[in-house]
Amino acid sequence: MNASGEIDDGSKALAELLSFQSLLSLESLAQRAQALTLRRFGRTISLYVPLYLSNFCSSGCAYCGFAADRKTPRKRLTFEETQNELSALKQMGFDEVLLLTGERTPQADCDYLASCVKLAAKVFHRVTIEAFPMSVEEYKALVQAGCTGVTLYQETYDRAQYDQLHRWGPKKDYDARLEAPERALEAGMRTVGLGVLLGLSDPVAEALALFRHVRQLERKFWRAGFSLSFPRIRPQAGGFQPLFEVDDRLLARLIFAFRICLPDVELVLSTRERASFRDGMAGLGITKMSIASRTTVGGYQAGAAMEGSGQFEVSDERSVEEFCRALRSRRYEPVFKNWDAVYREVEAQKVEVCPCD
Amino acid sequence: MGTLKIGAYEFSSRLILGTGKFSDVDTMLSALRASGTQLVTVALRRFNRERAEDDLLGPLAALNGITLMPNTSGAMNAREAVKAALIARELCGSLFIKVEIHPNPQHLMPDPIETYEAAKILVKEGFLVMPYIPADPVLAKRLEELGCASVMPLGSAIGSGQGLATAGMLRIIIQESLIPVIVDAGLRSPSEACAAMEMGCSAVLVNSAIAAAVDPSAMAKAFAHAVDAGLQAQRAGLMPKGDVAVATSPLTSFLS
Ligand code: SF4
Repeated sequence: MNASGEIDDGSKALAELLSFQSLLSLESLAQRAQALTLRRFGRTISLYVPLYLSNFCSSGCAYCGFAADRKTPRKRLTFEETQNELSALKQMGFDEVLLLTGERTPQADCDYLASCVKLAAKVFHRVTIEAFPMSVEEYKALVQAGCTGVTLYQETYDRAQYDQLHRWGPKKDYDARLEAPERALEAGMRTVGLGVLLGLSDPVAEALALFRHVRQLERKFWRAGFSLSFPRIRPQAGGFQPLFEVDDRLLARLIFAFRICLPDVELVLSTRERASFRDGMAGLGITKMSIASRTTVGGYQAGAAMEGSGQFEVSDERSVEEFCRALRSRRYEPVFKNWDAVYREVEAQKVEVCPCD
Repeated sequence: MGTLKIGAYEFSSRLILGTGKFSDVDTMLSALRASGTQLVTVALRRFNRERAEDDLLGPLAALNGITLMPNTSGAMNAREAVKAALIARELCGSLFIKVEIHPNPQHLMPDPIETYEAAKILVKEGFLVMPYIPADPVLAKRLEELGCASVMPLGSAIGSGQGLATAGMLRIIIQESLIPVIVDAGLRSPSEACAAMEMGCSAVLVNSAIAAAVDPSAMAKAFAHAVDAGLQAQRAGLMPKGDVAVATSPLTSFLS
């Protein structure tokens, strides 16, 4: 807050970097972004892996391969299957898993998710979810189960566009979604991941809205960690075409600008993007990446049949080993474990006897 | 030239290294060797007992002549830090614990209140407690009174490379402290490490500035030299600053 009681959230600086009239070359932004990333995060990239638990969905998002009107076969992992998938991921070396579902359905509701989190928390130090907006009480149950982070993209901050693209279902409620990260943090989640699905509305306006959203949360929840992603629409069942083009140069500019304006937040790049783009962006703002991802339900176990198509097509299909080799050849260390369950246990009040009691 | 004494330990090197941000384990190990360091900090969150390739504890524990100081980075409050310290001690057997509590994972500023609470417990638990703190002279004395083995005030924010932004406060802490004062965080260049030592610090801790250098080993060596130079300068007694000299015998004794 300044002397006149105004809060400068820094979005002006971001707008200047993103302006088409900006005199700053992409190269100069890249250099600043790299320097800031290097200072704050060193030569390391944290790794995580997504696990789709279920593709049942009650919503009809125009851009999604799992929308309720798609012909895709529906599946939900049984607890045994979940266990096996988790073991397979653990074998691959991962220590952070992101559990995903569609919008709330009787097949994949909060209780189901909490049970899966519990299973995951037995093997993984860090377990986070990307599911549907929940109440504070529901988020608390997940914290108790061992979940420490929630990813929830608003997809688009453009209300009109949001209403049109979310054709039916609970996801149509813009505000319920917008306010969910706040409820998650109130419930004791330690990290929140925000993002926009690039291609649904004017990318610069989306970036500014995303920036304001995270800044506002940062001020209120000063203990929370934040990560941001910039997914671009990928081919999916449904054949939805992006309404706004976001080419590599624009995406890179967005990422560089966010790193410059938010030097400390985690910036994530998934396997939606091509291998060459990901390799180039590692360390230029990006600090966290997934690899070997499947967007089908399960599918990591050896010999698992890939049933139906995924939520979208993955672009970087390299193995964990190949990807780590590529990172290392650029002098970046892939970090699998960057967190310890000991902190989570205290949070969930599951500690046995702690001498401070 | 004199050693750094902490508890029953003595170190001839005054350069403490962090291990978190290197491009790979080999680069880290050669930087440690080049620095001549004898005390190294490692985060519990980077212990990985399930994947040797991702584990920092294994390769560090195998080094000769280096004492490990686990740290609690990732802890947001005293309870978490205490639990982490107990587990770290179990896993690596070191009596040292660097208490790092930063509730805000973005700027990573240490929480003075939680750090104080954690130190109180950990001192009783028999640890050599090395708290990472804001450069606050009162807090430093309070931690000393608790029985901490040293205080580790920040030069500037972690990974900011802003050097000794807190120099004024550091001077007060050094003047008043009965335990070693170790500047931790924010140093970017060897000259800043040298300045910290000239000022009277007992040691400095460096991570980013070495790990993110173009040639980490060469930079580690440069820091080692700078720390030595600063210590020697401090011992040698710097020429006075400004226009007032401090005389060794009173200038007005002839008047009496
Ligand atoms: S984006 Fe999510 S809510 Fe929308 S249709 Fe796909 S799975 Fe369902």
